[in-house]
Amino acid sequence: MAIGESQLDGDGGPSEDVEAQFGWRYTFGKVMQDTTARWGLYVVAFVLFVSAYTMVDSNLSRLTFGAVSDFAMAEALPIFDHPERIPPPGEIEGNVPPAFHVDGTLSHPLGTDPDGRDYFTRIVYGAQVSVSVGIVSTLIGFVGGTIVGAVSGFYGGRVDDVLMRLVETVYAIPPLILIIVFTVFISGGTPDITYAIIGVGITFIPVFARIIRSEVLSVREMDYIEAAKASGVKNRNIIRRHVIPNSFAPVLVYATLQIGVTILIVAGLSFLGFGAQPPTPDWGQMLNVSHGYMHSNVWLSIWPGMAILVTIMGFNLFGDGLQDALDPRTND
Amino acid sequence: MGLLRYTVARLIQAIPVLIGITVITFILANLAPGDPVRLMLQGQQVDQEVIERVEQQYGLDRPIHERYVTYMANLLQGDLGHSIQRDRPVTDLVVQRAGPTLMLVVSAYAFALITAIPLGILAATRRNEPADHISRIVALLGVSTPSFWIGIMLILVFAIQLGVLPSSGLVYPWWGPDHYGYSGYPELLYQTIRHLLLPMVALGTLQMATLMRVERTQMIESLQGEYVKLARAYGVPERTILRKHAFQVAQLPIITIVGLNLSTALGGAVLIEYVFNINGLGRLLLEAIIGLDYQLIMGITVVIGTMFVIGVIITDISYAYIDPRVTYGDRE
Repeated sequence: MAIGESQLDGDGGPSEDVEAQFGWRYTFGKVMQDTTARWGLYVVAFVLFVSAYTMVDSNLSRLTFGAVSDFAMAEALPIFDHPERIPPPGEIEGNVPPAFHVDGTLSHPLGTDPDGRDYFTRIVYGAQVSVSVGIVSTLIGFVGGTIVGAVSGFYGGRVDDVLMRLVETVYAIPPLILIIVFTVFISGGTPDITYAIIGVGITFIPVFARIIRSEVLSVREMDYIEAAKASGVKNRNIIRRHVIPNSFAPVLVYATLQIGVTILIVAGLSFLGFGAQPPTPDWGQMLNVSHGYMHSNVWLSIWPGMAILVTIMGFNLFGDGLQDALDPRTND
Repeated sequence: MGLLRYTVARLIQAIPVLIGITVITFILANLAPGDPVRLMLQGQQVDQEVIERVEQQYGLDRPIHERYVTYMANLLQGDLGHSIQRDRPVTDLVVQRAGPTLMLVVSAYAFALITAIPLGILAATRRNEPADHISRIVALLGVSTPSFWIGIMLILVFAIQLGVLPSSGLVYPWWGPDHYGYSGYPELLYQTIRHLLLPMVALGTLQMATLMRVERTQMIESLQGEYVKLARAYGVPERTILRKHAFQVAQLPIITIVGLNLSTALGGAVLIEYVFNINGLGRLLLEAIIGLDYQLIMGITVVIGTMFVIGVIITDISYAYIDPRVTYGDRE
């Protein structure tokens, strides 16, 4: 086939053809050719942009077509915690319905929550929380899983047996339950978003470890590993320089899909009250609060869920596209 | 004969996993910073003497491996410990609450299978037609939407806006019609279904979406098989081919997916029980966590892990039963 032929091109090193087939630019091009994957990428880029923007610019009132009270702003932002600030009477305008409602105003396009905080602002700031949670805990699982999986797959034998039995056992406890129990135990009964991130990350180490391991098992048999061993390279360096880089692609795809899953799980944790705590504007936590207002303020339950749905859909579409692009079987 | 041997072998294989679950839960429970007695007292000022007495009562003054051995010895006799919060044996509480959770999970699967299989076949036979595109969108939405938010939206529409279905609790048919004051078994059945409908859909949507995509892929593959070509060449009607030749083979991966996804479903049940106020294991776990009732938390985790392991064994065995190609491990 094309790959085999081009490798025999005479000049020794991998030809451009091989690089073109597996390079990042080629993968990106394939993703962009796929309409749904492209839209997924747009959504992911948008959510990432929004969360980066809110980290830099903390005054969003210009986006809400009018002045949002200081109190509403301060309380909406995770970085501006002002618990001591007591709002002057008359400044709070709680339970304002969304703009399209008869009683709605344009200064609060999505209405306000019972505490008078602008809901649109809170939703926008929620992106920052969800995205950082998704990325950081996926990263923990990814790095931890890569180390465990690479060691397990490379050394094999007893190390592999023990580690894989452990992985299997962790698999047997439903992730959400393991995460809740783990988070509560490490936090000693005072849950917080930081513990949730660590808990989710550690719980997903086995998942990543298993994928990396199966890749490593095939990479291990390659000639270049044999060559490295023969020239006396230390095992640690072989793992770091040769094994891990070459087993990377499938794990990367999985990590992209995993960010969506993580956001979903952390939203569930926060919804149950074991993740982000008020006043952090986390989408799951907002749904927890709105659960008590389902009869009176319907909109409070709708927007955060929509935000979660769109974000996760973006990551899923992009991840699927990436998978297709990196999977040699779908290359025509 | 072979099947029986396979079943026994499969059960024996599960033992290390079950032991592993208890080890992990036990370590987690002992990982908590600070000693559990102080956490239980939640900052109340008590004499050192009282603390020591409580520690002795629960055996907390002994080294961890000794405590684990005691815990396992009790576990084998069906004793999961004692709930401090409720002052009752954990086993009693767990048995009482397992029914609703099982009912919820099983019905969610029933819903998922009943909808996913026909829709998956429809999408496979009408590939790249509108029906296929719609099924893709439904699957994408199903995978990306948090189950608890689906629950909230269902409550908003069917319970609050339309007022046709109840928004909380379940009716347990095993309590009999008299307990609820219903006229007889037909009404009991009717009420059971009415109460189960919304939580079932909320929990089952994710499974439905996953299974539908798998069913589509499998049917497409199966329809391209040699035996289908042969049947077509013999002039067997397309309907018969679909029903007899292609269908059966395509169902095997579905069984595996059902078993593996049981873990997600059991975790999701915690969220759905919270949304719909169902007194199952999930709600019991949440209450136990809020009360830092360690023995109860451990007990529930062990039981849910065991449920998952049993579920996987059942699917494995039914797979072997349906597919004659599985060799039960012995090659002759």
